[in-house]
Amino acid sequence: MEPDVSIETSSVIRIAVLPIGTVPPGLLREYQTMLLRQQTIPQSAISSFYTEHQKSPFAHQPWDTGSLRFKFILGGAPPSPWEDFQSNRKILAVIGICHCPSSPDLDSVIDQFNSACKSYASALVHRCFAFCPGDSQLEDGSKKGGNLKLFPPADTQTQEMHLQTMMQDIAASLLMEFEKWVLKAESAGTILKTPLDSQASLNSEEVLKAKKRRLARSQKTIGDYCLLAGSPVDASAHYSTSQELARLTSDYFWYAGALEGGVCALLLDRMGQKDPAMEEEVRYRYNSVIVHYRKSFIQDNAQRVSPLSFELEATLKLARFLCRRELAKEVVELLTSAADGAKSLIDASDRLILFVEIARLYGTIGYQRKAAFFSRQIAQLYLQQENRLAAISAMQVLAMTTKAYRVQSRTSTSEHSLPNKQIGSSHVDGGKMHHHSVVSLFESQWSTLQMVVLREILLSAVRAGDPLAAWSAAARLLRSYYPLITPAGQNGLASALSNSSDRLPSGTRCADPALPFIRLYSFPLHPSQMDIVKRNPEREDWWAGSAPSGPFIYTPFSKGESNESSKQDLIWVVGEPIQVLVELANPCGFDLRVDSIYLSVHSGNFDAFPVSVNLPTNSSKVITLSGIPTSVGPVTIPGCMVHCFGVVTEHLFKDVDNLLLGATQGLVLSDPFRCCGSAKLRNVSFPNISVVPPLPLLVPHVGGGDGAIILYEGEIRDLWINLANAGTVPVEQVHISLSGKNQDCVISVAYETLKAALPLKPGSEVTIPVTLKAWQLGLVDPDPAAGKSAFGSMMRHFKDGSSPTVVIHYAALGSLNWPNGVDVVGPDDHGVVEITGQWDYFMLDPIRFMKHVLAIRFGRRSDEGGGEGRIGFVLGLVEEEATMNTLGYFHKISTIIIWCRSWSLSSSGDPSTVGSSVPPGRRLVVPLQICVLQGLSFVKARLLSMEIPAHVGENLPKPVHVDSQSTERAIGSESKLDRLVKIDPFRGSWGLRFLELELSNPTDVVFDISVSVQLENLSNADNDSADQDAVEYGYPKTRIDRDCSARVLIPLEHFKLPILDGSFFMKDIQADGPTGSRNSSFSEKNAKAELNASIKNLISRIKVRWQSGRNSSGELNIKDAIQAALQASVMDVLLPDPLTFGFRLLRNGLEPAKLDSPNELNSSVQSSASKGPVLAHDMTPMEVLVRNNTKDLIKMNLSITCRDVAGENCVEGAKATVLWAGILSGITIEIPPLQEIKHSFSLYFLVPGEYTLVAAALIDDANDILRARARTHSPDEPIFCCGPPYNVRVIGTA
Amino acid sequence: MIVCVAVVGHQNNPLYIQSFTEADDALKLHHIVHCSLDVVDERVNNPKKSGSTLNETFLGLLYPTENYKVYGYLTNTKVKFILVTTDLDVRDADVRNFFRRFHAAYVDAVSNPFHVPGKKITSRTFAERVSTIVKSFGSSSAG
Repeated sequence: MEPDVSIETSSVIRIAVLPIGTVPPGLLREYQTMLLRQQTIPQSAISSFYTEHQKSPFAHQPWDTGSLRFKFILGGAPPSPWEDFQSNRKILAVIGICHCPSSPDLDSVIDQFNSACKSYASALVHRCFAFCPGDSQLEDGSKKGGNLKLFPPADTQTQEMHLQTMMQDIAASLLMEFEKWVLKAESAGTILKTPLDSQASLNSEEVLKAKKRRLARSQKTIGDYCLLAGSPVDASAHYSTSQELARLTSDYFWYAGALEGGVCALLLDRMGQKDPAMEEEVRYRYNSVIVHYRKSFIQDNAQRVSPLSFELEATLKLARFLCRRELAKEVVELLTSAADGAKSLIDASDRLILFVEIARLYGTIGYQRKAAFFSRQIAQLYLQQENRLAAISAMQVLAMTTKAYRVQSRTSTSEHSLPNKQIGSSHVDGGKMHHHSVVSLFESQWSTLQMVVLREILLSAVRAGDPLAAWSAAARLLRSYYPLITPAGQNGLASALSNSSDRLPSGTRCADPALPFIRLYSFPLHPSQMDIVKRNPEREDWWAGSAPSGPFIYTPFSKGESNESSKQDLIWVVGEPIQVLVELANPCGFDLRVDSIYLSVHSGNFDAFPVSVNLPTNSSKVITLSGIPTSVGPVTIPGCMVHCFGVVTEHLFKDVDNLLLGATQGLVLSDPFRCCGSAKLRNVSFPNISVVPPLPLLVPHVGGGDGAIILYEGEIRDLWINLANAGTVPVEQVHISLSGKNQDCVISVAYETLKAALPLKPGSEVTIPVTLKAWQLGLVDPDPAAGKSAFGSMMRHFKDGSSPTVVIHYAALGSLNWPNGVDVVGPDDHGVVEITGQWDYFMLDPIRFMKHVLAIRFGRRSDEGGGEGRIGFVLGLVEEEATMNTLGYFHKISTIIIWCRSWSLSSSGDPSTVGSSVPPGRRLVVPLQICVLQGLSFVKARLLSMEIPAHVGENLPKPVHVDSQSTERAIGSESKLDRLVKIDPFRGSWGLRFLELELSNPTDVVFDISVSVQLENLSNADNDSADQDAVEYGYPKTRIDRDCSARVLIPLEHFKLPILDGSFFMKDIQADGPTGSRNSSFSEKNAKAELNASIKNLISRIKVRWQSGRNSSGELNIKDAIQAALQASVMDVLLPDPLTFGFRLLRNGLEPAKLDSPNELNSSVQSSASKGPVLAHDMTPMEVLVRNNTKDLIKMNLSITCRDVAGENCVEGAKATVLWAGILSGITIEIPPLQEIKHSFSLYFLVPGEYTLVAAALIDDANDILRARARTHSPDEPIFCCGPPYNVRVIGTA
Repeated sequence: MIVCVAVVGHQNNPLYIQSFTEADDALKLHHIVHCSLDVVDERVNNPKKSGSTLNETFLGLLYPTENYKVYGYLTNTKVKFILVTTDLDVRDADVRNFFRRFHAAYVDAVSNPFHVPGKKITSRTFAERVSTIVKSFGSSSAG
């Protein structure tokens, strides 16, 4: 059998092409391609070489339309035993090809050629073409003549012309030889035999029959020659004669041959016009051809020779003729029968050819799987041959099947279906899969077939000595089908891989990745110290909006843009190393050594650092791959380059993503990561990575070590943050803010220090002080151990993340960002910047340039026509805060670096699009690792009230507001010696309350407590109030030893409001009153707020400070506790009584100075009385002062009583010991609002001793406020107001 | 006798392949089933050439190969059933009947809520049912 047969094959002249001497292979191929262009020589072109010697037997030669066809057989072919039967099988001409420079001796060339021709007995024409002859050879050769044809060196076109002429000559010679042959055959006849004919001697009858047959056969052969000569009409005539004769002699084989020739003649005659009728005709005739070939089967010599191959060839010829998609069914039937016939073929090479043809034809009608099946059969036949060339062929055939079985090598796919640039873009659209990859996942389930194919490729590649193909096949096998391969098989593949790589030069690349599986794990965000923030050029606070805002982690309103947010942008900085985490998996049963793995970056602006890694059996590992961006631009990372098993491969993340997606859908055998025990990972979306120019980089160093700052609750401490610029660009802008929990513990940050240090040059550093105050530990988790074990609590607090962080936004200057279409040239030596371009109007807003403010504003001048503008101007540096609004010339020009924001109103109207290329800034997060230890713990607070009567003093008008040194008289004034609270005997303690704090010290250090009460309005407190100094010295320090507790008393005074008015009582009134009206709810709320504010105000003035050791000091935060303690009796603490009473002595008739100025505070105890003894048996003039603290007029009934030590009333009654002058009871007086009245009287003490004076008043017509203050329950109840007791010591003798 | 039945998904992915021969010819049968997809594809793509109407699920004899005959059946969801038999004279009615029962078994199998569409059918019940149908095919044609 012969390959590549078709019906027209019968009309093609075979020419052997033989290299003569040494011809370099490349040149030989070149010469051959030149020859191949001369496959068809039109008859019209050969007429000039043709001379008719005698009358041509080809009577109907179509000189105008016909042509001679050649088939060049390089290297020739051995003569076929069937060449008598089909003349086209003969080699009818021999062409020698000689490359003159390598064979200088033309004589030997001729000898060689002649001897080579001897083996082609059937050849009618011999020519030897000698290319590129030298001059001497040209001379020499022209003498030789004969068959040697020299092709003088010339350009390709000339040579082809030359060759064409030669071929036309050959064609003409062949035609003439054919004529000669035919004439001879017609006259003399020839003996034509085929291997089918019996070799045994013939009996007489058979001899007779053979003679008849001979005629038929010769007619058939003449027909063949007519066909070769390109005269189908003549051929047709001879064939029909032959058919008749052959039928008569039942020479079916030749009959079929003649029929076949007839079809070929028919087709040639029609010259490729295919109409259905002719197609039907051809089909009909060929079926008969096939039938007759089958008929000619002779059992006798079936072992030796069989016409089967002709039958199959005819079948293939018909199939090729019909081979169109519409006729697929018919073709399939033909091919099926041909394939069935293959089993009867004796010759293995025949079977090979048959299968090749079947596979090709199946491929043509689109039956790719069938074609692949037969290709595999071919490969198996090749592999049976056990030699290297056959193995190479097998490998190539198998490589063709890989597409149908979906196991093709990446090399073949990447050429057409997957352009390389797509790799970069495709990974961006994350989860989406390409259609063909989906299909290949589905088809990848034919694992049984696929593994067989890959194994065979591996086998043939090994045998063919193609290590790269073997490596690739083994890699594909291992990567795709490892779950189906036993560990031993996996080991075998691994060793196949390494064996193959041993034969490869190091650094060989292969398109097909082997192991491990690599997927993207994560892109670690920049460490918080290097965080990059996009600058919003529109705002001064450019960092705003870059951090997630709002209290919610998830906001439904932002859902619409989740697409963008999921595809977050990643910014890398030139020169700063970055890291990418990838996960590797080795699901196979051997230890995998990855010699090197690094990120594969196609954009070329990235240096990747390789690492090597060992993966044990069935394991996965997350590794960090790092690299450095080298230039500005986008970066795409489609995968990793892996050097493993001696070959470098690129592993694309997208492939593994598809694989994993397939695994979830059950399309892929197994998930390599899961079977290695790795957790399922959500799809890591690939961010858009862009590289920006170098940015400054601040490195923080918190003074006092990197460890945590250990503070006791409430402790105040300073610390230093040292910032060094480790980048290559100066920091020009900086902003400090706080975030995180417990922000208020940072009392102050020296922002100014940092500001003053700008611009911070690379390498320089700045130290900024920060003042901290430790916060209160949560009351909910009182951890008794916390104080004892600092370490434990430290750990806990780190976990809590309760420490605040200092966030520093900083940036370098941006570059000037001009609108599109504007060219900027300069500045030149004079600082001139030339801006040309086309714009309608644009403006650069105030530019911040270091410490200078610079503004440029210009527009198109009216005198410049069109849209084209050209304005030359000078940029100058303007001193602080100056702006320039007009074009102008400025002196003192230096280098111009401008950071600005600008936009073009004309281009888009959207400033953000233009200004978006401002280089980003950075965010530095300095976590203050504060560990707060439990310090003093607060146990309880309660309010104590005491009543100590005041002395009625001598009437010494001592204006207190003058006396700022009245410490000795202030209540609770401290003597530094005894550290005791002293009570001024002339003041008493009316209205004085003490806040008692019980504190315990669970720590192992000693605390000193000092309490201070600040007075809110010191300027007003001009009356004997303790000022700041007094407070500081005021209270003694209390020392609390470890594990001890102590009580600290805080006197509460000076807090009373000056006036008792209704606003305060709104709430109480409403609450008490039977009808709470709705319209008062506002004022009620108001009042409540006011009350709360006053309480807070009160509390905030109480400060409990502590000190421990040398450098720990702080403040106790017990506001809540105090509030709780005060809540109940806040009214008594805060509010004045409606009336205040005071007594004083009037002596020597001196009028007391007006003590109570209107602006006097609520201090009711007007203790300005001077010291002086009251003598018995002496008239003591006194006066009582009653002050109305309300805003209403109060009518009342005042009475004064005097009691002795026993508490007996000593003014009235029988045993009265005190005589009096004036009125002591039932004094009806009216006091206007906020005024006071005096009532004078005199007492005459009969007995020396201690007396107590008490003034009391019964208020008439009390209003609601008074009632509320007095907490009366019924409106009828009289309101009784009692003043504080006053003590009078009477001396003398009884 | 039926030597092999197969279910092939709409993406030409094998969902179920079961051979009923003792001989170790699984690979060969895989190839036969795989190759039959060419014919199915062709019939699906050129429905008018196949001679059957669009609604016809039974594709008839796909092709004879070596000693086997391959029959096909295409569901509405483009799932293919392939039957490989060694019987030389098979009545179409028998094959139709077989495919109808096979289809019912398949529908029941994929109706299992735990079955993931597109995954290989691993149900043992389905396998048992199929082998019953296959056996009864042999007996009914014999009898």
